[in-house]
Amino acid sequence: MSTHVNDLARGEAPKLKEPVNRSGWNRAARVRFTNKLFKSYFLFSILALCLVLALVIFFIGKTALLTFRDISFAQFFLSFDWTPEEGKFGAASFIINTLSLTLLTMVFAVPISVGLAILIAEIAPKWLKSFIRPVLDLLVGIPSIVYGYLGLTVLIPIIRNLSGENLGDGLLAASIVLTIMILPTISRISDDAITAVPKKYREAAYALGSTRLQVIFRVVLPAAMRGIAAAVILGMTRAIGETMAVVMVIGNTAQLAKSFFTPTSVLTSNIVMQISNVEFDSTWNYALHMMAFLLLIISFGLIMLIRFISRRGGHTA
Amino acid sequence: MKLVKKLSLVAVAAAFVISSAGVGSTAQAAGSISGKITINGSTALLPLSLQAAKEFQRLNPKVKIAASGKGSVTGPQAVNKGIADIGACDWDASTDVPGFKAFSGQVANKVAVIPFATVVNKSVGVDNLTTDQLKGIFSGKITNWKDVGGANADIVVITRAFGSGTRVNYQAKALAGGDITKKDKNYKEVGSSGDMKTAVSTTPNSIGYIDLVYVSGGDLKAVSFNGVAPTADNVVKGTYKVWSYGYYMTKGQPTGATKAFIDYVQSKKFQDSSLKKLKFIPISSMK
Repeated sequence: MSTHVNDLARGEAPKLKEPVNRSGWNRAARVRFTNKLFKSYFLFSILALCLVLALVIFFIGKTALLTFRDISFAQFFLSFDWTPEEGKFGAASFIINTLSLTLLTMVFAVPISVGLAILIAEIAPKWLKSFIRPVLDLLVGIPSIVYGYLGLTVLIPIIRNLSGENLGDGLLAASIVLTIMILPTISRISDDAITAVPKKYREAAYALGSTRLQVIFRVVLPAAMRGIAAAVILGMTRAIGETMAVVMVIGNTAQLAKSFFTPTSVLTSNIVMQISNVEFDSTWNYALHMMAFLLLIISFGLIMLIRFISRRGGHTA
Repeated sequence: MKLVKKLSLVAVAAAFVISSAGVGSTAQAAGSISGKITINGSTALLPLSLQAAKEFQRLNPKVKIAASGKGSVTGPQAVNKGIADIGACDWDASTDVPGFKAFSGQVANKVAVIPFATVVNKSVGVDNLTTDQLKGIFSGKITNWKDVGGANADIVVITRAFGSGTRVNYQAKALAGGDITKKDKNYKEVGSSGDMKTAVSTTPNSIGYIDLVYVSGGDLKAVSFNGVAPTADNVVKGTYKVWSYGYYMTKGQPTGATKAFIDYVQSKKFQDSSLKKLKFIPISSMK
């Protein structure tokens, strides 16, 4: 990719129409100037992004840490009792619920979406490929509230019938909605990663007498591992941060999910349910900010973890 | 980038000049009022505020009104901080209510009557519930419909999140101050009146509560409260008790354009036409 960009930049420089002499600048100086200009522009772009990130961390963190003026670290992280009206701010159940929801979603989503990616990239005939790819692209663009609404009106009644529960809201419903939501993201990016594996790898493997299954699992998948890991990261961060779709099907009750069908709440859904009803300068408000900050830290942590894993896995390929 | 910055600076400066000019000249001059009014707070009262703002600005073109809705408690808070001139709130925020302290120095101006209804899913065969039965259901002591005269089925409680204006009023009026207790199962919280309607409509054997205006269509029905049907007529007659005033909170007594606007909202002309069309009940009909 990067070589393409360089070629393009180099190719465009001589196209500048102005004759060298009239401007009084020689070509080398002009090129140097343009290069400098673009260098500083790109630098500015990346710095602006970093600044935004730093500001987010700073301002959320600043308000978040005020929480611990009124309640102890241990209460926030270890207590399961979230009763803001009585001054009890234990967020442990939200943290555990968020992690288990994400885990459950990934358990559902990764095998299916990677399988789908293999199907599109390796197995499917051309007409099927050219049908599935645009469909997946369309699915990526559907707003999450639409998935949430479908979950509420279609999925929940199905769950209710199958499980015999009265309500049906809970981790299972939320993770299925999230799975459907992130499936196209993961499979589309994994598909790109698998397609990008050079054809000669496959040919070499076939020449050595491999079956199709062996080629896919021993050669193509390991070679595409990093791309697939990136796809999983993207899907996972979307799952962790997803709010609207989750809020509609999870039941929004501040308690630990003891089963798949306990009405419960995760960090995101609890924040969005309560933030409009709290007073600005209250421990409750600070605690909600602390939960947002925690969400930030959890998703950073998970991204780091997967990067680390994929780097180690990448070398063995 | 620089150009954008400059432009936005100019825009901000312009807005500042305009708004400060507006605030500066709230005095009435020759029968025409000018100024800028910011309304913040309850989403339940937002349709009313928007309609009133539209009509008031047509009569007084020099007045600019900006109305937005978030949550009831944000109204009086924004007034306290000076962000808004009017804080729309579903309860009288100058007094203590369960969970929220009084906002001192604020004046509550009644603008509408909001009736609330207990709603159940169509599948429920119960048409009337008493205060004690409701208290039992929402506190988790009564868990089966057969205990209140219905079929043998678990009761699914659907409630608004703590801090909702509807919940504050429902707890005070229908449950006589009783608790709403969360449970391991058959209990769910929703974030808005619209969500409440969807949830009760789609969940068999569910019970919830909602602004009366939302009870139309859908697979839900309103049940009577202590034998009285929840209708606007019964509220006016004084027999149906589950209702509350909607308030415009102001910092001290309202003045200038803000006062003129609140006067307009409280006027017979607005209360008897537009307000009724929005299915609120005029304050003048309550004794």
